[in-house]
Amino acid sequence: MTEVITDPTPPILHGPSDKEKKYDRQLRLWAASGQQALEDAHILLLNSGSGAVGVETLKNLVLPGIGQFTIADAGVVTEADLGVNFFLDEDSLGNSRAECCVKLLQELNPDVKGHWLPLQETLTVQKVLKNDAKYTLIIYTYPIEETDLDFVQEYSIKHKVPVISVHSSGFYSYFRTYLPGNFPIVDTHPDSTATTDLRLLTPWEELSKFSSELTGDIDNLSAHEHGHLPYLVILLHFLEKWKAEHRSLPSTYKEKTAFRSLVTAGARTDNPEGGEENFDEAAAAVLKTISAPTLSSSVKAVFDYEPNELEAKSNFWIIASAVKQFYEKHKQLPLPGSVPDMKAQSTVYVRLQNIYKKKARQDVAEVLSTVRAHPGGKDVDETEVESFCKNAAFIKLIHGSEANPESIKTLTKSEAENDANAEMTMMPLSLLPIYLSLHATSHMSTASSSDILATIDQVYPDASTTPRYVEISQEVARAKGGELHNISALTGGMVAQEVIKIITKQYIPIDNTCIFDGITSRTQVLRI
Amino acid sequence: MSQPLMVSATIPGPSPAMASRWQYLDNVRRHTGPFTDPDMFDTSEAAVAQIEKMKILVIGAGGLGCEILKNLALSGFKQIHVIDMDTIDVSNLNRQFLFRQSDVGKSKAECAAKFVEKRVKGVSITPHNCKIQDKDEDFYMQFTLVICGLDSIEARRWINSTLVDLVDEENQDSLKPLIDGGTEGFKGQSRVIYPTITSCIECQLDMHAPRAAVPLCTLATIPRQPEHCIEWAHIMAWEQEKPFPKLDNDDPEHITWLYKKALARAQEFNIPGVTYSLTQGVVKNIIPAIASTNAIIAASCCNEAFKIATNTNPSLGAQENYMMYSGNDSIYTYTFKHEKKDDCPVCGNLARGLDVDPNLTLQEFIDSLAARPEAQLKKPSIRAQKTLYMQSPESLRLQTAPNLDKKIGDLVSNGDEIGVTDPSLGRVDFKYKLRFTSDFVSKDKLTTNGDAN
Amino acid sequence: MLKIWSMKQKQQQDANADAAAGTRKKKVTAAQLRVQKDLSELALPSTMKTEFPDPDDILNFNLSIEPDEGMYKGGRFHFTFVISQNFPHEAPKVKCTQKIYHPNIDLEGNVCLNILREDWKPVLNLNAIIVGLQFLFLEPNASDPLNKEAAEDLRSNREGFKRNVRSSMGGGTVKNQTFERVLK
Repeated sequence: MTEVITDPTPPILHGPSDKEKKYDRQLRLWAASGQQALEDAHILLLNSGSGAVGVETLKNLVLPGIGQFTIADAGVVTEADLGVNFFLDEDSLGNSRAECCVKLLQELNPDVKGHWLPLQETLTVQKVLKNDAKYTLIIYTYPIEETDLDFVQEYSIKHKVPVISVHSSGFYSYFRTYLPGNFPIVDTHPDSTATTDLRLLTPWEELSKFSSELTGDIDNLSAHEHGHLPYLVILLHFLEKWKAEHRSLPSTYKEKTAFRSLVTAGARTDNPEGGEENFDEAAAAVLKTISAPTLSSSVKAVFDYEPNELEAKSNFWIIASAVKQFYEKHKQLPLPGSVPDMKAQSTVYVRLQNIYKKKARQDVAEVLSTVRAHPGGKDVDETEVESFCKNAAFIKLIHGSEANPESIKTLTKSEAENDANAEMTMMPLSLLPIYLSLHATSHMSTASSSDILATIDQVYPDASTTPRYVEISQEVARAKGGELHNISALTGGMVAQEVIKIITKQYIPIDNTCIFDGITSRTQVLRI
Repeated sequence: MSQPLMVSATIPGPSPAMASRWQYLDNVRRHTGPFTDPDMFDTSEAAVAQIEKMKILVIGAGGLGCEILKNLALSGFKQIHVIDMDTIDVSNLNRQFLFRQSDVGKSKAECAAKFVEKRVKGVSITPHNCKIQDKDEDFYMQFTLVICGLDSIEARRWINSTLVDLVDEENQDSLKPLIDGGTEGFKGQSRVIYPTITSCIECQLDMHAPRAAVPLCTLATIPRQPEHCIEWAHIMAWEQEKPFPKLDNDDPEHITWLYKKALARAQEFNIPGVTYSLTQGVVKNIIPAIASTNAIIAASCCNEAFKIATNTNPSLGAQENYMMYSGNDSIYTYTFKHEKKDDCPVCGNLARGLDVDPNLTLQEFIDSLAARPEAQLKKPSIRAQKTLYMQSPESLRLQTAPNLDKKIGDLVSNGDEIGVTDPSLGRVDFKYKLRFTSDFVSKDKLTTNGDAN
Repeated sequence: MLKIWSMKQKQQQDANADAAAGTRKKKVTAAQLRVQKDLSELALPSTMKTEFPDPDDILNFNLSIEPDEGMYKGGRFHFTFVISQNFPHEAPKVKCTQKIYHPNIDLEGNVCLNILREDWKPVLNLNAIIVGLQFLFLEPNASDPLNKEAAEDLRSNREGFKRNVRSSMGGGTVKNQTFERVLK
């Protein structure tokens, strides 16, 4: 069920706007805030090679209403382009590929602005990226000139702009994201089955009072009242009982199962159904809710991280530090404030909800006052603090990528070791050889299998003699750098999802390379 | 960002204009790869041309369907059919990229077919603006492959059982691989089914979580969530007040009525959170959908279709047959083999051929069934398109008992399928395809004519 | 494609199943077969009867219940069963066709029985539903009602509730609602 913490002010009775109608199916995923972020973005595509994967990516961004996009491409449309790129037609032959693709992409959504830059001797990548801070994110496709890569890198560092490189050839592809600095996410959209902290082991006064008010005379409640006690209240009641008897809370698995039996035994069975649903719910919730909340490793990573001087001035790190203080003081995170649905009378449930909301607001207020005391915290928006507190248990930090030639050697070795045991562990084979083989052809579309293997041998000397490397390099050579539309469409879908996650700062982007094998239909994400 | 690991060379200039349109496809179609199956793969001209002769059916011209049509046209398929009964709605435009604002209200199948035919030279796309159930077996028989991009489980089950039933051991062309895709938000799945050989949609039904339902009494007396108020308006208030003759989920006036009802009820119980958008979402059971996820799943389906059609590489199907995809938290795929279920009501239970003398009475036929070694039935109930004989409940037994004295030939036609159940069989049941062993002449040609209908 | 077919043929040899014959005709659907099985396994007591308006269509039928004990004794209650081709993935739709006074059945005939909605599972069968319906007349449940007034009567004043049941079954009026006569 939905989580509700808004005040019950009646909304105005009006239907959705035209824009809400058109974007309805995606607003349910990233809400108006995510949509706004998309509409404020401007994506640059540096296109090359057979040129389909970047254009397919853009299609998936134009449709949901990205603000602007620019294609820079030296290509002139050939027959071969028409066999792989849907956003070209017979009339495009011989014309600038950038221009033709922009025209046909733009038809998809009148809200989006498209621009084209036909790369040539006078308009180089260097010029495109010189002193121009207008791009929010850059996508480039392989093959690409080595020197052009340097300009992209320079731009990314200077303007703190994320970059995604994409390589699709034959049945294989990979893409890699480069995030400038560290990338924190508050709105991670945890799975609906993820537990929210209800603080049953450390109830605050108002909650305890409410609970004992309902259960003070539990044995004499009418069948109706007894059968509608919210399971939270049932658990609080029996925790009190347990504490009185054992002078501690149930903590081991054995104690928790004993506690569960105690709860189950509390149900009345002298009724036609022979039991009570709310007590069933309570028993089922024991193992999940009766445990001290522990910090997840991703929250710990946020607390342990020491932001540099510049980062420390950002709202995220100011709030993070305030929440950390809160945690150190209370040994728990701010209360999320939502209550799962449970069997209860409407009035009782709404009261319970309000008790949680009120406490959550108090926690927000405490964090907010710490934020305000911070030298840079005057202008932090209260809703941002609220949202942080609500999602505190699920915040996530993705580290920026840095090239490290040493680590790829280590990774190659460890993946090879995993592969050696693959049959025993029933794990699929590593896709790293696909990455290495495609990467060996970064600057040229065609290469022989032996050229590719010779290049890989530089980091993994066994490559030339490992059958899997030999086969994969042969498969890469077979495609001669040509894209298959399906593989590029699929890869373009994944890249677009990543762009959306990065721009909206919602959900969790990859860290940092995703490899796709269109033969076995598998992906693998590796940090390279 | 730049890495030391590349074959050193410079990028060649754009290819000369003489390069053929399908040069990239030909790289894999005309060259053997390390993983191609030597028994299957053939680089000859005739083999390459094979794909152009195949008829392929796309079911659904929505989010997945639009992508699938584009992908097939650019994979070398030339004879594509598409079937969809829906018309274009404004909320489709954020992902169904073959449609424009001016197309709202038009047939999806027709619009999509026209667009792709115009864009990709030489491809033929035949639209069918109707329900899949409107087409008969002969229609489905003409295709080599079927790809589904549907949002309804019911439609999936229908086409699945139709394709399973189509399989005829004496006709190789009757076996049509079914490729199915589905998405929800950033997640999706694609799967390949060889009807009667590998796990089918019915075997995999447990992969679809049923929609969580709330008890009616909660809606009626103890609502706690905004959804409860909306469901109450939808199920109970509407039926009581019947403000319009028939509820149309797509009529904003109807949704507004439900929204106002739900809102008033929510206010009565102090429940926050009822909005127009939530009302629409609950009433229509809206599943979030975006272009990028559709692109991933549709392309995965078409990649498998291409591999099956060309043998350019091994495909999903015989071993691994299911790919799950999730983009919520990083990217995660799980590709596995879903096992066929022996007790699957669709493919675990194929009709067997059964020779029968049409001049037997139904009673004699039932007695003969009891003697069959695989059956040994004690109290069989039996039906064809109509109910032939039911052992219970009593009212049906009485209604069907007169059939016992009728001749088989008067009750069913040669080739009809019958279903037999018996309490002694537990979960098992039998289907037989009847083969008449002699001609049958009905005594009463005027009324029965040997046709079950 | 060839390979799929050779798999099929191998499977055929293994199973040694007989080949099917002739032209393709109408099939028995999975839902029909399952309902047939469920129906033939029904163990209906004398208090319950089914009625099939069209015996060839076993997906639509009526059920009558004549409780022989409890507060609803002496009445005859009619329900319609509508089963879709999606059965047993989807529960049958069951409605009471009479306007009756019952805490778990509302005035429109909606029935609050968990296995008809939130707790339906494909492994359940028609018998389970019919047993559940019968139980509602033996033990009306006041704690999770559809008809709130009836439930309050049952909770607060069992004797008064009994009187209301009798009067409503005779076609009388309870709290301004006139009910349908359901006595045999």
